[in-house]
Amino acid sequence: MQTSIHNPHFLLRRLHSLLGLLPAGGFLIFHLWENSQSRFGATYYNDQVVGWLQGLNYLVILEIFMIALPLLFHAGYGLVILRSGQSEWRRFSWLHHRLYWLQRVSGVAILLFLLFHVGWTRIWAIWEPAIKLDLFGHMQSLLSQPTIFLLYLIGLLLSLFHLSNGLWTMAISWGLTTSAAAQQHWLYICAGLFVLLTALGLHGMLGFVL
Amino acid sequence: MKRPRKVIIIGGGLGGLWSALRVAEAGFQVDLFSLFEVKRSHSVCAQGGINACFDTKGERDSIWQHTVDTLKGGAYLANQPPVKSMCEEAPGLIHTFERMGVTFSRTAEGLMDLRLFGGVKNRRTVFAGASTGQQLLYGVDQEVRRQESLGRIRKFEWWEFLSLVLDGQDTCKGITAMNLRTLEIKSFRADAVILATGGMGQTYGHRSTNSTNSTGAAACRVYQQGAWFANTEFFQFHPTAMLGDDKTRLMSEAARGEGGRIWVPQDPEDTRRPTEIPEQDRFYFLESWFPSYGNTVPRDVASRAIWRVVHEMGLGVGGEHKVYLDLTHLNPGFIEQRLHAILDIYRKFHGADPVHEPMEIYPSAHYAMGGLWVDFEKDVSSGGMKPGSQRNHATNIPGLYACGECDYGYHGANRLGANSLLSASFSGRVAGEAVAAYLKGLQDDLQTVPEYKYLNEVARQQAINQSLMDSRGEENPYALHHELGELMSSRVGVVRDNDVLRQAIDDLSELEERSLRINLQETNSWSNQGLAYTRQLQEMIRLGRVIAASALARDECRGAHYKPALDLTIPENTYPGDPAYEKYREAWKRQNKDWLKTTIASAGETGPVISYQPVDLSVLSPEEPRDYR
Amino acid sequence: MKTIDFQIRRQDDPYSPPYWQSFSIPYRNGHNVVSALMIIRENPITQEGHHVDPVAWEFNCMEEVCGACSMVINGHPRQACSTLVDTLEQPIRLEPLSKFPVIRDLMVDRSRIFSDLKKVRAWIEIDGAWDIHQGAPRVSPEAWKDNYLYSRCMSCGCCMEACPQYGDTEDFVGPASLAAVRLMNAHPTGQYHKTQRLHAIMAEGGLSDCGNAQNCVRVCPKEIPLTTAIGELGRQITLQMMKDLLGKSE
Ligand SMILES: Cc1cc2nc3c(=O)[nH]c(=O)nc-3n(C[C@H](O)[C@H](O)[C@H](O)COP(=O)(O)OP(=O)(O)OC[C@H]3O[C@@H](n4cnc5c(N)ncnc54)[C@H](O)[C@@H]3O)c2cc1C
Ligand code: HEM
Ligand code: HEM
Ligand code: SF4
Ligand code: F3S
Ligand code: FES
Repeated sequence: MQTSIHNPHFLLRRLHSLLGLLPAGGFLIFHLWENSQSRFGATYYNDQVVGWLQGLNYLVILEIFMIALPLLFHAGYGLVILRSGQSEWRRFSWLHHRLYWLQRVSGVAILLFLLFHVGWTRIWAIWEPAIKLDLFGHMQSLLSQPTIFLLYLIGLLLSLFHLSNGLWTMAISWGLTTSAAAQQHWLYICAGLFVLLTALGLHGMLGFVL
Repeated sequence: MKRPRKVIIIGGGLGGLWSALRVAEAGFQVDLFSLFEVKRSHSVCAQGGINACFDTKGERDSIWQHTVDTLKGGAYLANQPPVKSMCEEAPGLIHTFERMGVTFSRTAEGLMDLRLFGGVKNRRTVFAGASTGQQLLYGVDQEVRRQESLGRIRKFEWWEFLSLVLDGQDTCKGITAMNLRTLEIKSFRADAVILATGGMGQTYGHRSTNSTNSTGAAACRVYQQGAWFANTEFFQFHPTAMLGDDKTRLMSEAARGEGGRIWVPQDPEDTRRPTEIPEQDRFYFLESWFPSYGNTVPRDVASRAIWRVVHEMGLGVGGEHKVYLDLTHLNPGFIEQRLHAILDIYRKFHGADPVHEPMEIYPSAHYAMGGLWVDFEKDVSSGGMKPGSQRNHATNIPGLYACGECDYGYHGANRLGANSLLSASFSGRVAGEAVAAYLKGLQDDLQTVPEYKYLNEVARQQAINQSLMDSRGEENPYALHHELGELMSSRVGVVRDNDVLRQAIDDLSELEERSLRINLQETNSWSNQGLAYTRQLQEMIRLGRVIAASALARDECRGAHYKPALDLTIPENTYPGDPAYEKYREAWKRQNKDWLKTTIASAGETGPVISYQPVDLSVLSPEEPRDYR
Repeated sequence: MKTIDFQIRRQDDPYSPPYWQSFSIPYRNGHNVVSALMIIRENPITQEGHHVDPVAWEFNCMEEVCGACSMVINGHPRQACSTLVDTLEQPIRLEPLSKFPVIRDLMVDRSRIFSDLKKVRAWIEIDGAWDIHQGAPRVSPEAWKDNYLYSRCMSCGCCMEACPQYGDTEDFVGPASLAAVRLMNAHPTGQYHKTQRLHAIMAEGGLSDCGNAQNCVRVCPKEIPLTTAIGELGRQITLQMMKDLLGKSE
């Protein structure tokens, strides 16, 4: 008899689920809060916000183990899960079926978005130290281009959708919500969270360009 | 090492699954055959409940009372020791179901709840919501699946039983069966065979409440190989079945109990919608014929009255075989609450709302009391059936056993509501134990039966298939079945008459003749449903003849078998002790002297041969006529 | 003349290609899909007037309790016997369930449902089907009410047809088998083997393969609260995982 400890399938699934929220989800919320401070201007942002962050000890280790690896695992295993579905999204128009489909699509979209996003920020900065010095200006110049702004907007919305809906499904997977009524109530809360975080994210994006 | 003895069980309803469990538990290998996944068997249709005396309602109910109700309800025609044992073991059987996980409805204290069912005074019916049969079947189905996972039971689903293979001593040593997908016919060796193939309501075609698996074909096949049928003239008709082109669906008695009224328009040509027909143009025939009971007369009385209105008076709605069951005068909220299950079915399948529109109903063939004759061994010390005797549920063919609705065991001339889930389960358990006993005493080796016995039987069955596939006649099997249903329900139905029955027998012979000139309209030999259907149809026509011949031979009224010319009725307003009543009792006893006997039908050259057997009356001597006043 | 029009997806055997045929039958009040198919099989002539083989499909009870007659009707998996023609848009499109191998026409092979029930050990372990002179422990009416909802599953396959995670190449046992575990785990003595069942659905094809699309609960003809079962099992499994990771080992 295989126990759950000996069954990697189950543990991997739960790990994937967990990592989606912590640290990935947590990072995203923190990240948006961080960027929402763009409205205090370039100096404050560059010195106080980014500067404080970049001054942390063991930053690289934190970044690798708290952000990069978990995210990579979640993304990689997410792609594995993706292969198992066969969403005929047009066949049934019920809300949760659409959300199920969107969860998968947004996962892939986030992956693509991150390639660009991390490329333009972290990777590019490896060759162009100037970027690191004036992240505010860098983001400002990026986001003032309408196409890039749009790209970020989509990336933001999809990420937040993915997180909020992920929270909703997590509650079932882990057995937090069981009855249909509980699931409905939790849905309202997740939707509220989505709105709130969108406002936060949008606020941050606008802070760079306005 | 000797190879383990093997048992073939045909049928995966309550009867078949119970026997499979008991045989497997006794350590024998079981091969279980069914027309489809056993979980879809007809047993799931039963809604009402299953009887067992628990006496948890403060009514001083007793097992003895259950026995008496069953025997009397069946007009004393059932052999009494098996009935006694069944009633005694019922509570233990229900407890076993409970252990298997059946979700019986509960009282506030967490005990199994009981409800009142027709024909009895005490609450004695255990139920699981409105789907008792389904829950019971699933309970045993799960246990069988467990045995299957342990390798003790093998399932052959999508295989149709075709015939027995008998050895030189006419002992049953296996079967032939057809794979319903490939149409391949194969023989299977077995040391014993249990037939649990269910009822035969489909002989009444679309005028039956039964599922399509209830054709009686399998029983009719073994009948032609020498097994006896018993009491087939006794067929229970349910008075209030909702009409449909495909089947009729049961509307429980509760509809009348809660105040439903049955009526027809005075003028059968009346084309108005029922709700537009004013009171004075309606004929509430139950109320006018039975003023004191009105619409709540017992099932058989209601069926006969509807029959009379439609067939003798020609008053069926729109000239068709149907009458109205009207709830529209009742408070919608009240009936919604009390009759939810019925309203739901009617809405779902008829698309109309009985709250606003009268339901169209007609009596419908519901339950076959008769079936394959089976033996029992009486236990002289207890007066019941001897536990573990190899004679119990044995047919007259050695090695062949029968249980479930396809045997004739427990209901005599009429079945009490909620007693057949009990008999199907109980008889399955008994048959399984009997077969285990039979095998323990068996000396010969199965492998000594010569192979040609099997090959010949397979060849015979293949020839039947081939002739049907090749036949390019003009008859359509589906249309023929429809004709059969109309014929049986109108002439071998609720009310019987010897001249009509004779005519029916002739017509059935003609129908049989026609069924050989079939056109399957189909060349595909993969999953050819028409072929299996036609083969079953031919058996149903033959079975119809057995039913009609048995009915013709029995010249009396008893239970569900009713010939108006021979009716003995209790004089009105008389009770035991009154001279008029006692005179009636004398007449009733005289009738018992002549007719209280089991009808046996065996297959002869030109048709069924009818003979009789005495009934074992050792438990309750027939002194009290059935009296539901 | 008013008619009922059908488009039926046909397939002669498991290996031949599917094709479509159209049929019309005279309108009659009260037809359901099974009774209409019965008219077609009696006289299998297409709209174009060609005489073809009768349509093969599965049915038994005609009362929506046996689960035999599931098919895809106008895109939705449902029971043909309880689907009234008058509630459907015409032409009525009939297709076999797509998640199971086609046997012929509208018939599919659903044996996998039953082998999955074996996988998840959906039974109560009893010593034997004999009388032990007592029943099972009591069950409160509240618990009964919840359990009864699940006990009505007729293995029809509709929920699996609608589930995007269920497919003939996937391991996922589907919502119905999971709900069966929920039911067995709630039985007073079924609880004794709860761990075995939970471990079974922690394996490949088990609970964690559900993606919470919740189509299952929308299509179930018996209105079984499948997603509630999935949530409750999620909880049971979370606790089981804690036990396995931190508690005493077996
Ligand atoms: C609408 C309705 C409601 C009812 N309600 C009640 C009730 O409330 N209470 C009550 O006590 N009784 C009730 N009954 C009666 C009761 O349901 C049946 O008598 C009982 O279920 C019969 O069980 P069975 O095992 O004999 O047969 P079934 O359940 O009919 O099983 C027959 C099995 O035999 C198989 N089979 C048949 N022919 C072949 C063949 N040739 N080859 C292979 N396999 C074959 C089938 O596949 C099936 O598995 C009701 C009946 C009806 C019609
Ligand atoms: C809403 C607009 C967003 C803005 C303005 C923004 C801005 C930034 C900036 C400036 C950086 C560089 C930080 C640094 O080098 O220290 C960064 C890094 C990053 N961003 Fe965003 N971001 C946004 C949205 C998102 C979203 C939606 C995600 C994905 C879920 C995301 C994920 C990341 C990641 C993974 C990094 C690299 C982090 C690291 O290595 O520290 N960002 N972002
Ligand atoms: C980068 C690419 C990503 C991919 C391909 C991806 C893919 C997926 C998939 C397929 C699921 C559904 C799992 C299931 O239903 O079983 C999922 C769930 C989830 N994802 Fe992602 N994801 C990605 C990024 C992210 C990010 C950046 C976050 C955080 C903001 C995140 C948070 C979550 C959460 C919380 C869940 C819910 C887990 C659950 O239901 O148990 N994902 N992801
Ligand atoms: S859960 Fe519902 S849809 Fe699924 S198999 Fe059971 S009855 Fe059918
Ligand atoms: S549709 Fe499928 S994905 Fe889960 S919630 Fe239902 S089982
Ligand atoms: S025929 Fe049984 S569910 Fe439709």
